[in-house]
Amino acid sequence: MSTVLQTIVEKKHYRFIDGEGVTWQDAIRLSAESLVADGSVDADYYKQIVACVEKYGPYVVFEHNVAMPHTQENATGAHKTGIGFMVSEKMIDFGEDEDGEKKEANLFFTLSSTNPDEHMNNIQQLSAIFMNDALLDALAAARTPEEILEAEKKYPCEEEF
Amino acid sequence: MAKLDGKKLLACCANGAGSSLMMENAIKKVMTKYGIKPSELRHCPVSEGKTAARNYDVVFCARTFVKTFDGVEKNGTVLIPLKNVMSAQEIEAALKEADLLD
Repeated sequence: MSTVLQTIVEKKHYRFIDGEGVTWQDAIRLSAESLVADGSVDADYYKQIVACVEKYGPYVVFEHNVAMPHTQENATGAHKTGIGFMVSEKMIDFGEDEDGEKKEANLFFTLSSTNPDEHMNNIQQLSAIFMNDALLDALAAARTPEEILEAEKKYPCEEEF
Repeated sequence: MAKLDGKKLLACCANGAGSSLMMENAIKKVMTKYGIKPSELRHCPVSEGKTAARNYDVVFCARTFVKTFDGVEKNGTVLIPLKNVMSAQEIEAALKEADLLD
């Protein structure tokens, strides 16, 4: 079975941007564009994610500058389960969290979910990826789909315990 | 018998689809490691969790949502706020801190 990163490459669900002057709202829109391209989500799906972050703060930005923008399962405008991956060369500013800590991201894994089993599988794999600092560094340095696959080969995920 | 055996655990996040699922998986890892069998472990959005929390023994959430669960501890529910929702190690440490893990 393909890993989520292999699926991202196979389905062309990736994008590489410079990120200069890009707002977090634009970054979320851009990260979802590869999902829009094959009909996984509607063009305005990203607006629900933006509304969510506006409401609850930048909780979708985790440690190590990884963002996982998402809405609820079976959101309006979501048609297939998938992950829109994006690397930004410059950090995207998400403002501050509730503790006044600055939140910024250069890696985006934007989620769409309609199938609970596929979504669960994606989430489990992403958890492992997000805890794998060496892999995250290599992904942040990737500028081509081949480099995404090379990063995964070089730094495979291991179970936490 | 472990303190969390037979207890009801809930993981909450904004949408009940992303980080709460990550939390649930990480909690499961800790439960497996210690051989604990909670009677219930599920995840849901904070909107639902806010009212459901009182029916659970332990509620896990990202630190952002702590205020949402203000007062829940009056009902004897233990609230465990997490910085990194997918870290089984943080969950393990937080449960030990709350005297729920031996």
